[in-house]
Amino acid sequence: MAAPGEYFSVGSQVSCRTCQEQRLQGEVVAFDYPSKMLALKCPSSSGKPNHADILLVNLQYVSEVEIINDRTETPPPLASLNVSKLANKARTEKEEKMSQAYAISAGVSLEGQQLFQTIHKTIKDCKWQEKNIVVMEEVVIAPPYQVENCKGKEGSALSHVRKIVEKHFRDVESQKVLQRSQAQQTQKDTSLSS
Amino acid sequence: MSLKQAAAAAQPAGNNRKPPGGGGPGLPSAAGRQNMGRGRSSGKGPPQPTISFDGIYANMRMVHILTSVVGSKCEVQVKNGGIYEGVFKTYSPKCDLVVDAAHRKTAESSLGPKREDILESILFKSSDFVMVHFKDMDTNYARRDAFTDSAISAKVNGEHKEKDLEPWDGGENTASEELEALETDVSNGWDPNDMFRYNEENYGVVSTYDSSLSSYTVPLERDNSEEFLKREARATQLAEEIESSAQYKARVALENDERTEEEKYTAVQRNANEREGHGVNTRENKYIPPGQRNRDVLSWGSGRQNSPRMGQSGSGPPISRSGSHTSEFSPNSGADQRVVNGGPPRMSPKAQRHPRGHRVSTGRGTISSGLEFVSHNAPGEASTAAVARGSPSGGTWSSVVSGVPRLSPKTHRPRSPRQSSTPMGPALPSPQPGTIPTESVAMPVPAASPTPASPASNRAVTPSNEAKDTRLQDQRQNSATGNKENIKPSETSPSFSKPENKGVSPIVSEHRKQIDDLKKFKNDFRLQSSSSSDAVDQLLNKTREGEKSRDVVKEKTESTPKESIIEAGSNTNSSGGSSKPNSPSISPSMSNSSEQKRGPEVTSQGVQTSGPGSKQDKEDKEEKKDTSEQVRKSTLNPNAKEFNPRSFAQPKPSTTPTSPRPQAQPSPSMVGHQQPTPVYTQPVCFAPNMMYPVPVSPGVQPLYPIPMTPMPVNQAKTYRAVPNMPQQRQDQHHQSTMMHPASAAGPPIVATPPAYSTQYVAYSPQQFPNQPLVQHVPHYQSQHPHVYSPVIQGNARMMAPPAHAQPGLVSSSATQYGAHEQTHAMYVSTGSLAQQYAHPNATLHPHPPHPQPSATPTGQQQSQHAGSHPAPSPVQHHQHQAAQALHLANPQQQSAIYHAGLAPTPPSMTPGSNTQSPQNNFPTAQQTVFTIHPSHVQPAYTNPPHMAHVPQAHVQSGMVPSHPTAHAPMMLMTTQPPGGPQAALAQSALQPIPVSTTTHFPYMTHPSVQAHHQQQL
Repeated sequence: MAAPGEYFSVGSQVSCRTCQEQRLQGEVVAFDYPSKMLALKCPSSSGKPNHADILLVNLQYVSEVEIINDRTETPPPLASLNVSKLANKARTEKEEKMSQAYAISAGVSLEGQQLFQTIHKTIKDCKWQEKNIVVMEEVVIAPPYQVENCKGKEGSALSHVRKIVEKHFRDVESQKVLQRSQAQQTQKDTSLSS
Repeated sequence: MSLKQAAAAAQPAGNNRKPPGGGGPGLPSAAGRQNMGRGRSSGKGPPQPTISFDGIYANMRMVHILTSVVGSKCEVQVKNGGIYEGVFKTYSPKCDLVVDAAHRKTAESSLGPKREDILESILFKSSDFVMVHFKDMDTNYARRDAFTDSAISAKVNGEHKEKDLEPWDGGENTASEELEALETDVSNGWDPNDMFRYNEENYGVVSTYDSSLSSYTVPLERDNSEEFLKREARATQLAEEIESSAQYKARVALENDERTEEEKYTAVQRNANEREGHGVNTRENKYIPPGQRNRDVLSWGSGRQNSPRMGQSGSGPPISRSGSHTSEFSPNSGADQRVVNGGPPRMSPKAQRHPRGHRVSTGRGTISSGLEFVSHNAPGEASTAAVARGSPSGGTWSSVVSGVPRLSPKTHRPRSPRQSSTPMGPALPSPQPGTIPTESVAMPVPAASPTPASPASNRAVTPSNEAKDTRLQDQRQNSATGNKENIKPSETSPSFSKPENKGVSPIVSEHRKQIDDLKKFKNDFRLQSSSSSDAVDQLLNKTREGEKSRDVVKEKTESTPKESIIEAGSNTNSSGGSSKPNSPSISPSMSNSSEQKRGPEVTSQGVQTSGPGSKQDKEDKEEKKDTSEQVRKSTLNPNAKEFNPRSFAQPKPSTTPTSPRPQAQPSPSMVGHQQPTPVYTQPVCFAPNMMYPVPVSPGVQPLYPIPMTPMPVNQAKTYRAVPNMPQQRQDQHHQSTMMHPASAAGPPIVATPPAYSTQYVAYSPQQFPNQPLVQHVPHYQSQHPHVYSPVIQGNARMMAPPAHAQPGLVSSSATQYGAHEQTHAMYVSTGSLAQQYAHPNATLHPHPPHPQPSATPTGQQQSQHAGSHPAPSPVQHHQHQAAQALHLANPQQQSAIYHAGLAPTPPSMTPGSNTQSPQNNFPTAQQTVFTIHPSHVQPAYTNPPHMAHVPQAHVQSGMVPSHPTAHAPMMLMTTQPPGGPQAALAQSALQPIPVSTTTHFPYMTHPSVQAHHQQQL
């Protein structure tokens, strides 16, 4: 049970409905009564095992709050946080988004953006130059961003970038195939079921 | 109370220790750190609710979860249904959210936001958003301890608990053969060739391994060419050179060291021989693990063992030890003694002095409490126990006297520290007789039980001798145990002699040197004692006049002293003295100071009577040089005087001064005193004893006083004998002694610290000139407190002392008092009488003076001194003119001061501080003190000669100097500042001394004598 003064005990399962008629359910992580803020932890929307979605709900705009089951156990102690790590993450996330937005505003195709993301995972030193992707200041990838579009000084850098690009499209291709097969599978299932 | 006090004392002591130790902030600091650590640990954890945060910042879990998602992409759903996506940046106490690089999510924005759609950052009021969605959060992303064992183990799936360990049972038959086969199987796993073959057969892998390592090196091509042979010979030669070098061997030894790291670096090395051995030398300089110490103690006896533990505890973690001590209290008397003895002995080694002293002090403090308990516990034998304890102390004293001269300086110093600890006990007792007893008990015990005291004294003595060697202490303790058992004084006396002998032998050359110095000090002390006796008389008178209760006490003490004396006569001197003191002190428990004073007197008397013989014996044993002198000293009944001399080589000068009053005597005394200087060392020893008594006096006034007195007596005797002064002194001393016992007893309580100080002082003089001492003093003061430092300072010169006094101030007042006491003690030591007298007076006057001290918190000492000084100064002036009157006045003032110190000093407080400080301070203080003391003592003595007032004079002498200038017109506080240049500082005593020396000299007819003393010092 929630202690006196608390309305939700940490670990309890709570469900509620927002003013946008959105149904929410999750495990209480934290609750602040003065600000009416409720933090919930939900299973990851992407299904990743060690990840979770965190919801910060303003109970002022929520109705039908229900406690599905209460948890009496004392919540686990809080681990100390590496604040600097979080700050770095905030900065890099922001830069990444701004970079991406720049590319998008430049009219880069979806393929181009995807390639950029892939290259960026491996080589942080890459940026948009108009519609061209510049990697390590040496290799320039111009639309349509194919392997043959990789230009630059012959060397390990160029060959390395080509390998990345080549692998990227191979993966994209295989992914598409997989998606198709899955789609076909679903269609079959639906047809069968129907 | 006792426990608390002990703990308190222990802690302070520990603190004090640190400073002295210099680099050795061991236990106390560690304890502090530990505490700190705990605090930190408790503070661990993310947000601290304890810190006052606003809004959600006060919600630990909310802060944690929101902080852990900083830097993550989030979707903020606002009231109108719009969704903004961005990077979560931060949040306010009101739960306003800042999202960086945010853009409004739209249905057609599958491709992503354009540059122009993104806002640098958006602040969402908490009232504006409905929900914030953080997707795919890695909850452990920001965990700081992701790679700690606990963090890793926390990720283990399912229940993860320690495996249950199962005992291995090889069965009856498996045994030896198979196991031995394993043991003897030298093969280290697979043979390389087996591996190659196995791989080749099973996997078709052919190894390219070439045992010649041709890939890495080139084979040596041997030939018979002259060049090759030459080079080969050269190589061989080099190899021999290298392999024959010590460095090479040492390194090889390291490489081939069979010992485990545990043995080499971690294990506690226990050498049974060392433990058992009595070799003082070996142990003296070695650190003795608490466990071993305990063992030693145990050997002594349960009680004694406890005491040792106490002492050990003191050295080690004060608190814990104190606790242990408390448990062991009953034995404490022995333990205390041991501690004292052992401590001092240990201390005696210069190197060890400080550490031991610290240990001792702490230990003592705890021990004392334990002792107190013990004494209380064993009511029936309380007196006996007390006596035994007293005797132990006395024994130490005697021991000091006997051989200790050398030792005494060193030992005394150590002891003084210990004493300082003891002083705490006394201080406690004096303030809080009931509570004090615990601590004081240890000290007191000796005093309390005359017979036991003698044993104790013996023990103490042995300890002093063995100070270095805990083992010796153990032995002593054993003897002490016997004493504790209420062994007869005679027994105790023997024990004393033994201990002394032992101690001497071990210390040997150093000790002998020290002893010589001590002898000189003794001589001085004698002078002092004589003066002190006079002072005592004065003090007694004053005390009587001053307070009825005090008078009563004095009477009691006096009676007790007599009794004690008688006992001493029958029994060993030391025993007699101790017993006497004990009885007196006990009776006067209320008026600790008065009692103490009495005790001292008694002791002095007892010492004189019995002391001489015992002292002589001891001396003879220890040193043949001073035998004649010793005999004389012994003849000199005024043991108190002897103490003074010892305590203060300088005191002798004072004695001479005193003699001046008597005129005829003074001059002789002076001479004798000068000679005594050497004696001083002994006196110093006595002083330590005195110190002990003092501590006792507080708790167990009787005990403390007794020990003190006995010591003094012995010293006085020896000293007296040496100097011409003896007769006059004796006369004076007798009076004074008589008075002193009471006064001494009284003073001791207050003075206990003083006594220590005195001892220290005395020691210091011998060992260290004034200057060194002074420096030490400051340290001590800072560390210990006030009492010691003050005393020391005062004794020494003490400008610095004031500072010390200040530290103590209010609470420190006690400390200051202690310091004052010490100073008094110093005086006393110099002239045991003087101190005693001062104390008596203090007892009587205490309250009046106290006010003043209290008034001048910062410069309590000063104030006290001033207070005392004021009177003294007048007195002094008068003394010169009408020495007695002045002296009386001074003594009273002093006594008052002391009393104030005592009374005010919440026993516990002061005691602790005193004890601690004493220990720490003592070493340094002693040295400084010594130098100072000499001068002081001399003045004091000069005064003593004047009469009963002598004590006062002594006190005054110290005081007077400054006073003279300012005193006449001014009173206490004010006067001092002016008058004492030095005096201004707390160190009235110290300053006084210097001043007195100078001033006194003029005043004194014996200026030259004083000068001599100084020179001697």
